[in-house]
Amino acid sequence: MYPAPIEDYIRPRTLAEAVSALARYAPGEAVFLAGGQSLMQAMKSRMVRPRCIVDLQTLTELKGIRISDGLAIGAMTRYVEIAESQAIGPAYAALQDAAQHVGDRQVRNRGTLGGSVCWNYLASCMPAVTLGLGGTMQLLAANGKTRAVSADDFLIAPLETARAEDELLTSITFPAAPANTGSAYKKWGLVTDALPVVGVCMQVTLNAAGACSAARIALSGLSAGAQRAPAGEALLVGSKVDESAMKRALEAIVGSVDAQSDKWADTAYRHQLIRTLGLDVANSAFARARGV
Amino acid sequence: MKTISVTINGEAYVETVPVRMLLVDFIREKCGLTGTHVSCTYEGVCGACTVQLNGEAIKSCMMLAAQADGHRVTTVEGLANGEELTPLQKAFKAHHGLQCGFCTPGILMNMTEFLQKNPRPTDDEIRRGLVGNLCRCTGYVHIVDAVRAAANSAT
Ligand SMILES: Cc1cc2nc3c(=O)[nH]c(=O)nc-3n(C[C@H](O)[C@H](O)[C@H](O)COP(=O)(O)OP(=O)(O)OC[C@H]3O[C@@H](n4cnc5c(N)ncnc54)[C@H](O)[C@@H]3O)c2cc1C
Ligand code: FES
Ligand code: FES
Repeated sequence: MYPAPIEDYIRPRTLAEAVSALARYAPGEAVFLAGGQSLMQAMKSRMVRPRCIVDLQTLTELKGIRISDGLAIGAMTRYVEIAESQAIGPAYAALQDAAQHVGDRQVRNRGTLGGSVCWNYLASCMPAVTLGLGGTMQLLAANGKTRAVSADDFLIAPLETARAEDELLTSITFPAAPANTGSAYKKWGLVTDALPVVGVCMQVTLNAAGACSAARIALSGLSAGAQRAPAGEALLVGSKVDESAMKRALEAIVGSVDAQSDKWADTAYRHQLIRTLGLDVANSAFARARGV
Repeated sequence: MKTISVTINGEAYVETVPVRMLLVDFIREKCGLTGTHVSCTYEGVCGACTVQLNGEAIKSCMMLAAQADGHRVTTVEGLANGEELTPLQKAFKAHHGLQCGFCTPGILMNMTEFLQKNPRPTDDEIRRGLVGNLCRCTGYVHIVDAVRAAANSAT
């Protein structure tokens, strides 16, 4: 485990410098380095052998959590900052559930939200969470063009995103949530705070009568990558939000997803994880939506 | 090659290093500070290489030395004030928080920052704080005892 030789290391001072530094190399030869908690591993195993590193550490525009007509989180915002933030309300609390349990303190002191979604590893938390919360990726290309891509369109498959080779993720934005919206995320891994074998994220909204008026559910850890669970969403919406409605929705998810068997868990065990984690997540998301 | 300047334990080290050099190797081999350990062949999972970057615990095999250019690093050698150990170091000694000691520098660097952020932790919080540091000797019980004792000894 040691990186192959690297020719150059650049620490751009502006966003324009960052994207143009990358564009000076052939696609794939220069890479952005955020917290390095995935990329360093990939370089040490030589799955990635860049000629040039473009280190994003000084770009303050990419850092921080902003609340104004929704929520915007800079791509370089670290897990520790999301975990400890006082500004993220119940509608987006799933981000904090996830950030508080990523890896370990040292990983949370370095790893970033943007790095996680751009890497889009199969067993990871933030891709499914941004999908479950309806996040939008804000991208900047070398020619100065910006575009916004929904998490649904951005997260294509494990290790694959809609980000063009020369694009920088600047932030992830989340729409202002309606009143009585809550979210939650929970995962199960082999040891404490390990990579998710299965993770479940839900965001739900209650109407004045206390019924569920909107729901998004996303899963992590399945072989197709972070994915929505529309079968479960459809059953939650309109329901009275009791335990039997939650269980029916989770059973519909179990019946509709493709859950692989591997050395960490077989299909039946993954199904059971979806049921068990899903019930906890639903209870916690609805409790947050009620403001308790 | 890159010429970098890193302040380690208050001393500036200016060296020209290959871009691919890991921070842990810079600390051990360029600066001769071998208190920072490597126990998982740089796989990022053992925590023995934990140092503080600008006061925050990080794994130094998960960073290039070039990334630390212009920053402040603290290693285990930087904790004690001469012969005067920190309360956490004293507590490790008093509570047998180490056996072979290979994991100890990383644990001290991590838990020193942990206690600064959370001076009155519960045992559960201490255990969660230790997730990134593997110890193959102690079974962690004495480590948790030591961290708790250090928290209680602080005034
Ligand atoms: C011990 C350990 C435990 C872990 N446990 C978990 C866990 O429980 N759950 C979990 O989800 N993850 C876990 N991870 C992975 C961790 O979350 C990584 O931090 C994250 O996947 C990558 O974020 P980063 O900032 O470190 O990005 P980097 O590793 O620096 O970059 C990752 C990729 O994204 C690209 N990139 C980064 N930022 C941008 C940007 N702004 N624009 C465009 N491209 C960009 C890079 O070029 C690279 O390809 C763990 C990692 C370790 C080492
Ligand atoms: S050497 Fe094991 S985590 Fe760095
Ligand atoms: S004391 Fe030996 S590994 Fe911890």
